[in-house]
Amino acid sequence: MNRFVFADPNMCIGCRTCEIACVVSHQVDGKLDGVSPEAFAPRLTLVKNVHVTTPVMCRQCDDAPCAQVCPNNAIVLEDGYVKVIQSRCIGCKTCVIACPYGAMNVVTTMVEESKGGSLFNRMAPKSQALKCDLCAHREAGPACVEVCPTSAIQLIKPETLSETSKQKREAAALNAAVASFR
Amino acid sequence: MSNAITEIQQAKCLLIFGYNAADSHPVVARHILKARANGAKIIVCDPRKIESARIADQWLPLNNGSNMALVNAIANVIIEEDLYDKAFVQNNTEGFDAFREIASHYTPESVEQVTGLKAADIRLAARTYAAASEAMILWGMGVTQYGQAVDVVRGLAGLALLTGNFGRPGVGCGPVRGQNNVQGTCDMGMLPHQFPGYQSVADDVIRDKFEKAWGVTLSGTPGYRLTEVGHKADEGICKAFYIFGEDPAQTEADLAAMRATMRKMELVIVQDIFMTQTAEFADVIFPATSWGEHEGVYSSADRGFQRFYKAVNPSGDVKPDWEIFSLLATRMGYPMSYSNTEEIWDELRALAPLYAGVTYEKMADLKSVQWPCPTEDHPGTSYLFEGNKFSTPSGKGIFIGAEWRPPLEQPDSDYPLVLSTVREVGHYSCRSMTGNCSALQTLADEPGYVQMHPDDAKALGIDDQQLVWVSSRRGKVISRANYNDRVNKGVVYMTYQWWIGACNELTIEHVDPISSTPEFKYCAVKVEHIDDQAWAENYVQTEYSSLKARLKSHVANA
Repeated sequence: MNRFVFADPNMCIGCRTCEIACVVSHQVDGKLDGVSPEAFAPRLTLVKNVHVTTPVMCRQCDDAPCAQVCPNNAIVLEDGYVKVIQSRCIGCKTCVIACPYGAMNVVTTMVEESKGGSLFNRMAPKSQALKCDLCAHREAGPACVEVCPTSAIQLIKPETLSETSKQKREAAALNAAVASFR
Repeated sequence: MSNAITEIQQAKCLLIFGYNAADSHPVVARHILKARANGAKIIVCDPRKIESARIADQWLPLNNGSNMALVNAIANVIIEEDLYDKAFVQNNTEGFDAFREIASHYTPESVEQVTGLKAADIRLAARTYAAASEAMILWGMGVTQYGQAVDVVRGLAGLALLTGNFGRPGVGCGPVRGQNNVQGTCDMGMLPHQFPGYQSVADDVIRDKFEKAWGVTLSGTPGYRLTEVGHKADEGICKAFYIFGEDPAQTEADLAAMRATMRKMELVIVQDIFMTQTAEFADVIFPATSWGEHEGVYSSADRGFQRFYKAVNPSGDVKPDWEIFSLLATRMGYPMSYSNTEEIWDELRALAPLYAGVTYEKMADLKSVQWPCPTEDHPGTSYLFEGNKFSTPSGKGIFIGAEWRPPLEQPDSDYPLVLSTVREVGHYSCRSMTGNCSALQTLADEPGYVQMHPDDAKALGIDDQQLVWVSSRRGKVISRANYNDRVNKGVVYMTYQWWIGACNELTIEHVDPISSTPEFKYCAVKVEHIDDQAWAENYVQTEYSSLKARLKSHVANA
């Protein structure tokens, strides 16, 4: 089972620190100076409506729809998470359609493309399918988990799930005892 | 606050009144969540479905401006249903009969119209609060930024007195202050009637002490509050205005009046870290260091003194505030010199008995010392009024009741909506600091937002995210409509840090008679659709660019 980042809506206060931490974590130099609004692309998004406040992000689906539909095999299951090989991304956005969580974001920027001498330089579109990568480049793990002021965001590991399921079964067993049929 | 912020977690009931911790103080919001996890009942009184309301056991979405009526109704239930702590009231308080008399007129049924709440809901909240063994009240600007503010504070304190919720851990009253170190400015004598340490300027003995220490003659007459300055300028009494670390041209109610006040001054000195709109009015600007460039002491809302340390060396021609004051005093004929902030601090604690025992050493690193701390071997005071001894002449807690007064400017056919000014988590205060942070700019930028209930917006033909005009009898600004299901109909909400969409162009200078704080939370406005959105977007960008260019040119030409 893949690990994934998950937020508890009962703990979230909607501060968006996670969004900023995500962008910082994915800057080459780890700095935010000069990040343009276009380049500001957090891989998790705070949803705040009348009922709920919580960031939504990739679940690292074990049988990931985004990976299944990618026509260029740019999305793979590797290193325990669903990884995008950006060099293969063609910006077709099929993964965006496939993702049931709205957690995929295709960002296209114009980059200088050189074919030989500078005479032939031209601006060409370059697409990237951006999603949560569990901050694989970071030793300390996902930045959002680290910065959340209420500890609402957690990295869920297989053992976390089995432990909470065990606790729920214990509670359910107790309830069953109380609510016995006779 | 009577009790420490950390004691929030010990409370069994939190009555949160006009206070949006998630947007104003995320750290306090964390304590509220912990209290809830520990089993505390949470009651939130707020017109908007703020984050705390979302997780509360009970949310009372009261009408804007009905605070006093609700507080009186809660008192009514606690008294008439015999839920109050009679022994506590008998032994430790004064003024109960008069308080009871006023509250008796406010049955929950009688305030349904004014508060917009069902009587049964008010009763339930009152019972929950009264039943808790430890109950704490937290309030914020939703109480204090009304024309009737101090009365409501006294009413809330009355609820705590009724239920004996003082003098123990996890109880009491928590006015969670509006900004970092607001508590500190009060602690340090920025109030016009007090010397540092809450010592009255009118008290001869106290004045004599300060006169001897400083070698000068001091006035025993209280000074003026910020909201009085304009009127004193009109009368020709106030001639100079020295502003430091404040941007009144952005943050005061009715900005046009504030600008007129500054123009009337013969001399305006502004001491700040960035070029602000207030600084534009200055005859003299003293560029100062920012919080990371100097050391000092902050007071948190719960009376805790905390040292902060210099992190980086300042760049440019800037000085710490205390050095600027010393230089100015010296030039004015009063030689003042300190070699560091600890010398200033030691002078302060020698003159202020409340802080006498708070040494720099005790605050070292990340430690906090809460006043009162009378001696150096005293650990500080986590909660006030231990043994139910209050800081009044008689030592008893005093009930002070008040009748409800409606806010001043009611909506009418010309200005049919109510405007309330609020906070957002991503930008701090007047935005002179956070406005210079690119990430925060990306999350929200000029001209800011006007939060509207979708039904109100649709009735005006306004789409989500469209630019709109918002106007009051005092001014007109452009803003961006934000469809928001969490706000009540008939009221719109704006945050006060935007330059182009500056909501304080609209607010009214109707002040509380005691605190002199304006009614930032209530004035009448209208919102108008803009047909040509492309023009409007361009207008915002042009206005913002030209304002920035103007401020920059002041610096370049200085």
